[in-house]
Parts: sequence; C-alpha cells; structure tokens
Amino acid sequence: MHKKNKGITIFLFLLPALALFFGILIAPIIASVHHSLFQYKTFENAGDFVGLKNYRDLFTSEYDFGTALKNALILAGLSVFIQLPISLGLALMLGKGIKGERFYLSVYFMPVLISAVVIGMLWEKIYNPIYGLIFKSFEAFGWESVLPPEGLLGNKKTALMAVFIPTIWQYVGYHMLLMYAGVKSVSPELREAAMLDGATDGQVNRYIVIPSIKQIIKVSIIFAITGSLKSYDLIKVFAKDAYNCSYKVPSLMLVRYAFNNAGGIASAIAVIMIILCFAFAITINWLFKERDPYGKK
Amino acid sequence: MKKYLAMLLAVVMVLSLAGCGKSGSNGGAASNGGSSDGKTKITMWCIATESDSNRHAYEQAIADIKANHPEIEFTWEAIENETYKTKIKSAVAANELPDIFFTWACAFLGDFVNQDKVYCLDDTLAKYKNELPENMLGNTTYDGKHYGVPTTMNIVGLFANMDLLKQVGYDEIPGTYDEFIACCDALKAAGIIPFGCAGGETWCVTEYLESVIEKSIGADALNDIFLGRSTWDNAEVAAAVDRFQGMVNNGYFDPAGASLSNDEIKANFIDGRYAFYMNGTWNCADFAANADFFPKVKVAEFPVINSSSAKLGQLIGGPSDTLAVAKSSPNAEKAAEIAAELGKLICHYGYLDGCGLPAWTPYGDTSSVNELTQTVAEICGKADAYVLFGDTAMSADDKDKYLEFVAKVYGGEVDGAGFISGLKEAIR
Repeated sequence: MHKKNKGITIFLFLLPALALFFGILIAPIIASVHHSLFQYKTFENAGDFVGLKNYRDLFTSEYDFGTALKNALILAGLSVFIQLPISLGLALMLGKGIKGERFYLSVYFMPVLISAVVIGMLWEKIYNPIYGLIFKSFEAFGWESVLPPEGLLGNKKTALMAVFIPTIWQYVGYHMLLMYAGVKSVSPELREAAMLDGATDGQVNRYIVIPSIKQIIKVSIIFAITGSLKSYDLIKVFAKDAYNCSYKVPSLMLVRYAFNNAGGIASAIAVIMIILCFAFAITINWLFKERDPYGKK
Repeated sequence: MKKYLAMLLAVVMVLSLAGCGKSGSNGGAASNGGSSDGKTKITMWCIATESDSNRHAYEQAIADIKANHPEIEFTWEAIENETYKTKIKSAVAANELPDIFFTWACAFLGDFVNQDKVYCLDDTLAKYKNELPENMLGNTTYDGKHYGVPTTMNIVGLFANMDLLKQVGYDEIPGTYDEFIACCDALKAAGIIPFGCAGGETWCVTEYLESVIEKSIGADALNDIFLGRSTWDNAEVAAAVDRFQGMVNNGYFDPAGASLSNDEIKANFIDGRYAFYMNGTWNCADFAANADFFPKVKVAEFPVINSSSAKLGQLIGGPSDTLAVAKSSPNAEKAAEIAAELGKLICHYGYLDGCGLPAWTPYGDTSSVNELTQTVAEICGKADAYVLFGDTAMSADDKDKYLEFVAKVYGGEVDGAGFISGLKEAIR
C-alpha cells in the first residue's frame, strides 16, 4: 500500500511536466505528421487524404525542396567547419586568461544579443550595391567592377554566401561562450602539470583542454546543425517575399506554403525537418560516444 | 536584497505566464466587446504603418470617428504589409480577428468569406447607396452579397522624372511604345537608368509585367486568365513576357534593384537615379509631399504595345483596399456601421492626400488634391476596362505560383514559353 501510494505520488508530481512535454512537443509532432498526409488548403479544412503525395511533390520541380535542403546542409557544414572552429579558437584564447578577457567576451557575444532583424538590416546596408560599406570600400581602391552590379545579395552566384556569412557570424559568440565555460572548468593543475612537463600552449590545448570539453563541443555541434536546419529569421529579412531568392531554406518554404493554402506541404516540410534534426542529433551523439580503447564498452 | 530581487523576478515570471494564457488581450475579437465604462469596444487592424502613404488619412479618419462616436472605445493597430498577410490569415484560422480589419478585395477577402468568417454588410451599405456607387463594390461582392467597404482605388502609373527625360530631349512622357523604347535607349546612352524595380518584392515586378502583358493582349484576355476563365497557355502572353524580359536583359532596369527594397527604389527614383518608376498611384501622395521632387514628376498610362488587341484606357488596378468586419465580433452590427463610416472618411482624406482615387462619391472641397492625383483621375475618367492586380485577383495558391513564375522571369530563370507552360501546369 505504501509503495503504491509512493508510485501515485511520483506520477502526480511528474504529471504536469509530462502534460507540458506532451502538449507542446509530442502532440504538435503527431499533428504535423497527420497534417502532412492531407491537403490542408485552409487551416480548418483538412481536405482530401493524399497519403505520401505531399512528400513526393516536395521533390518535384514545382516545389524544389531539394535545393532548400541542400542550402540548409551547406549552412550546417559551414557552421560546423567554419563557425565552430572560430568559436573554439576564441574560447581557447580567452580561456587562457588574457588581458581584457571580460571585455572581449562581451564584444564577441554582443551579436547574439542583437535581434536577427536588426542584424539583417545592418548587413543589408553593408551589402547595398549603391552605398554599402563593401561597395564603397572597393570603389575607393577602384575595384568596384569586381563586385556584381546586382549586389552580393542579388547575384545568384554570391547570394548564398552573402546570406550565410552574417548567419554564421551572429552565433560565433554563442558557441564561444559555451566552449569558454568549458575551457574555464578545466582544472588549472592539469594545465600547470603539462606546462611543467614542457608542453606548449598548442599541446596543452590539443591534449588537455579540447579532450576535456569534448561534451561541450558535441552540444555545440548539435546546436549548430539543428540551428542551421531551422534557420529562418535572418534569411527572411534578406529574402523579403522569398519568391526571388537563390538562398531558400526549408523554414522559409514552410512559412510560405503554410500561409498560401498548402498546409499539407508545409507540414511535410516540418516533418522532414524534425526527422533530420533528430537524425543528426542521434548521429552526433553516437559519434561522440566514449569508446573503450580496446573496442568494448 | 538579492532575495527580494529574486522574489520580484519570480512574481514577474508568474504574471507573464498568466498573461500568456489569456487570449484576446491584443485586440482580437475574442474579447467580450464591452469596456468597464460602458463603452463598446471596437478594434481594428490595418497596414497604415508610419511609412505608409495612407497613414495620415487613417489618423484623421480615426480622429473623426472617435469625436463622432463617444459611445465607442476605438483601438487600432497598423502592421507592416507582408507581415499583415500572414497575421490576418492566422487570426482567421484561430477565430481571433479584430472587429474591423483591412483586407484586399477579390480572392484575398474571398478566401475568408468562403470560410464564413466575414460579416455581411448588405444592410449597412444599403444606407450609403447614394454615396457609394455599386460598381465600386464588385470586387467585394460574393454570391450577390457585399462583404467589404472600399476606401480608395488605385491603378499602376508610369511615373517619370521629367528633368531626366528633358536631358535626352523629351518634354512629355512618350505616348507610343516605339517612342517609349527610343526614349529608354536614349536614356541608356546618356548613362541614365530607365527603370528601377525591387526584385526581392515580386509584387513590384508584377506592376511592370502586368502592364506589358495587358498592353499586348488586351484587358479582357488578361482578366479571363486572372479569373480562371481561360488558361495561361497563350502565345501572346509568352511574347509579352519575352518582351519584358528583353527590356530587363537590355539593361533598362537597374541591376542593383535585385537586392533593394521598394522603399529604396522609390527613394532612388526621387533622388534622380531612374527616369521611370512604375508602381501604384498611391505614391502620388509621397511625391506630392516632396517639395523638391514634385515639380519634376509626371504620371501617364503605359503605352499600347499591340494596338490590334489592346488600347489606351485599359488599366491595371481598381478598387482593392477594403475594410471588412469579422463575423465573430460581439458587436458586429456596430462595427459594420463604424467600418462604413470609417471607409468613407479614409477615402475622403486619402483622396485629399493623393493616396488614390475615391471609391466613394467625393464631397467637400477637393480643390487641394495634388496635380498628379488629378492626372490619375483624368486617366481613370477615360478608362474603359480595369484588370485588378494579379496577386489580388487570384486565389491564394494560384497567386503563390504566379508570383513564383514572375520572380523567375525577372531573374531570367524562365522565358515566355517557360512562363506560360509552367503556369498552365501549376494553375489548373
């Protein structure tokens, strides 16, 4: 009886959190899967059951979801191979305890605090092909002919990178802060012992610090990849109505179709994004799993 | 001290959570419609933001409404155009429409009417039949019932900076297409960019493309296509699209437009970067308000390209800006009365400001209306056919595909043949 009561108590205490978890995470995923199997011309009218047609249609030339997915994966790749190494470099540099550490920390973190819309407007001005900072700088050296006349955002070859640069730049500080906290938590005794043994700064970082913050790096990679797959706000500022952009990403398409009588298509995009985010998170977890040096764990 | 601060933060968090749980506080129709002092609460959403040409007209009209109706508590919110389209659709789905809301006529409002979310205004508008011509209600009439109060009507105008035109020997905007192209060539040769167009805002591209198509195939044929009475499979449309694309490829358009917003393009036109700017005649208000620029600008109708199918007097535009009333409003009848009165006032002040032509019969002294708007009125006075803006005339899903192909044409991804075959396939 006592044990039974205890079980009920545990259940009752868990219930609110469970209800919240189910209500705001699981239920919407189930609803998205359900919606993706119907037409959903309007929010209230499910329309005909179409099975997996929405998923098949997404990859036809009409929707061209493949390009959006490819762009999101490029952004994820850039995040992992450019953004995170920069963040790690900054974290290692600041974590060593340099002069003005707090100041630099604040400066690098500042873009994270600024709204994506403001950053978008700011970079739009930087890229402006008439009076922008980049154009004017090139003009000062007589190099303006190197830049495309449509502007970096308007040219199909440069637009993708022009959009991704501020996207990556904005979150360098975020990952730096995560890694900085990890670097700071590395025991100073370990560092000192290595130094006494004659290790250089690079060797200390390579053999002591980075292995110690492996779990934080893992979390950063998961955040960077899932964040790239879901990226929307900053890209939306550049894309305006999103019809004429060569840098479309899944979220941009999702919002566009959700509000243009194609709820089924929008839900199918949402489901694919959820699956991809989970798949990447699981894969990265697996890759970072601590393994026994003799092959068994 | 820290303990008190922590407690204060905790209280704020709890209160904000409680705030999240309550709907209708943002002015949606979910409120009970009555205020504590016995006044009837009426809320309105519109797109007359600070930078909108119509802002002044809305402010004056609302001030009049508040003065004339002390029995109501009127609150309003202006949301940016593109954001508004998303917000209003979400509000319709969630049954959280405000009492009165701005909408575009034809298919945009039609979607909401089909979902039974809009209050029928037949009884209310019957009182105004002497002031509001029936032909101004056509775009908001569904199954013979009226669902919208029109405010102003606008057309696409060909605005020209006459200072720049004079530099290449033109004292007037060229009246024929051949002269017009010769003028563009002369401008180009003189190092002046003929047109500016915001490539990222596809509706701006449609202002050019639709004019070229209409003056090539005629208003009736374009109306038939927009309203689904005939398909896009029309060789003349393909030729018109190729003609437009030829203008883009020939360097008539500022390439920088691909990454600029319409506001920036308009500012560049005012600054003298472009000779022509094709956009809605609501811009007359902003041009007239700029004392330096106003003497330089003129407006005209886009010239006829194919005189065997099209003619002058066939215009892109018509009454589209509309106020509607939510069926879910607890004070729908009162809101309808206010919407009608407000529509009439916005029309009046908007016309005086030069934001468009009046959908209602003008009253009072209108001699102060700026010359540009008066020219637009003359153009409309001679008009014999209107084709409503394509993205307003078409249903939401057709519009989406149409705009995508328009963007592809401007971006050079498809030509005329690709445009008609793509749309024929996408819009059935």
